[in-house]
Amino acid sequence: MTRTLPGHARAALRRAGDPLVPLVLLAVGALAAAAYGHVLTWAVIGGLAGYTLSGSV
Amino acid sequence: MVAGGLLSGLVLGLLSGLSAPLPVRWRYALIVAVAVLGLLREVGLVPIRLPQNARQVPQDVLQRSLRRGALQFGFEMGTGVRTYVSASAPYVLAVALLLGGQRLHVAMLAGIGFGLGRASTPLARRAAGTGDRWDADLRVRIRTITVTAGVVIVAALGLLAARQL
Repeated sequence: MTRTLPGHARAALRRAGDPLVPLVLLAVGALAAAAYGHVLTWAVIGGLAGYTLSGSV
Repeated sequence: MVAGGLLSGLVLGLLSGLSAPLPVRWRYALIVAVAVLGLLREVGLVPIRLPQNARQVPQDVLQRSLRRGALQFGFEMGTGVRTYVSASAPYVLAVALLLGGQRLHVAMLAGIGFGLGRASTPLARRAAGTGDRWDADLRVRIRTITVTAGVVIVAALGLLAARQL
């Protein structure tokens, strides 16, 4: 038997899987790390640069 | 992808010593200028054709051996120099690493981040579980992604530059 999720749960899952979600996480991370001059700023900027190639294979 | 990004970061880190004769202020000013140029290119104000390896990883690498082929496919994608590079941000990152003169481990961290950023596309697609719909959403949002990333990179590199001045 297959259980289906309620509509609002499906909508929440769909929003969580939006292609903009990784962008938002990386953007917040990059700005926060840069504000503190943390060495991880470079890693997060690298992540952003990598994610911009999402449309390229 | 992470291994490919790590290799590219390592190479850029090793080459970054070439920019050492330039004063730090100049180097960071150049980094921010290049980041702004990248952003202007993304919004279509500055048409610059950037060099790229205009090819895809051949399909037959997956046909010979699925596991080995997948590793090769990911590695080549992760380097950022073996396939199409459609956005400006990777070029900005490369220039920033070349001019920044960071320690080698910082360039390697950036390379690992780049690989993870590339890997997050198939991971997010799989996590969404919507396949073709996710691809359609990405096509609609890709310009938002590249322009927003450009703005954030300008801001982040600007903050790092301000600490060097």
